[in-house]
Amino acid sequence: METWKEFEANELTHSAAHHLLAIHEVGLEYGGWARVSDIARQLGITRGSVSINLRTLKKRGFLDTDERRVVRLSTKGQKAVQAVMAKKAVVKAFLREVLDVPELQAEIDSCKVEHLISQPTGEQLVHFMRFLVSEDPLARQLLARFKTFHDECPESRTCEVCNGHCLIEELQHAKP
Amino acid sequence: MKVDRDEIVEDLNRLMAEEVEAFLRYFQMRYRLRGVDRLAAEKLFDEGTRETLEHAEAIARQIRALGRIPQLKVDLELHGGPTNLQEALAEMLEVERQALEAYKEVLPRVTGDTMLEDFIRKQISVETEHVQEIATLLE
Repeated sequence: METWKEFEANELTHSAAHHLLAIHEVGLEYGGWARVSDIARQLGITRGSVSINLRTLKKRGFLDTDERRVVRLSTKGQKAVQAVMAKKAVVKAFLREVLDVPELQAEIDSCKVEHLISQPTGEQLVHFMRFLVSEDPLARQLLARFKTFHDECPESRTCEVCNGHCLIEELQHAKP
Repeated sequence: MKVDRDEIVEDLNRLMAEEVEAFLRYFQMRYRLRGVDRLAAEKLFDEGTRETLEHAEAIARQIRALGRIPQLKVDLELHGGPTNLQEALAEMLEVERQALEAYKEVLPRVTGDTMLEDFIRKQISVETEHVQEIATLLE
């Protein structure tokens, strides 16, 4: 499969991930159960939309329902929520603590990718973060050196990262 | 219970969004329908689009009567492949049930305001009828 199509093939869409997270959050107060109206309020969308989306999630085994038509996460749903929350936490920690991205931006960007990155990438990111905060003096040094590293593009505008196109310049041009 | 006018307008805006979204769903559903019942089903969803739009209009008029401008927040992407009458009706039933519940939720907050209370009660009655009709078709 072409790489860009992987996005479409992702088992959990952004919307689905947020529905599951909303059910998790609402359910914290009600023994795991959540009503459509509370999920809709949490997500800021209509009850109609929530209810249609829940149908799909239920069919795919992420949810259980009861006779009062309230929902809760199934075991599969709970696993999906845990995975999404873990990936978000590690991406956010990486953005905040390593790249020094401001808190709000780190929250937004980690939210955008939380359900998209694969399990191996998430795991490797956790390992990398653990390495950075480990007792290994080289790890501490690496982080400290990075934070004081002042980057300047070479005159030739080529380097091993950019490979002929200055990526920093291209990103700056893309600023809204 | 004394409810702030801003909150009532917010409730009405939410109800309007439910109706507009239902309209959009039914609009798209007509083109997803396949199978021998397609023509009959299309007619049902045509009626659905007409009614939901009428309801949205009626809500917008109530908002205007309160001296405000309707604010519409619709966050919707409609996908989905071909579907049959049974599946489409099940979806319609879900949407109508949620609209009914949404009106019921607002009722206690407008009780005492003759015009709004009458309006919401009428909508509850209409939506209840819709839900029952669709449920009967699915029996």
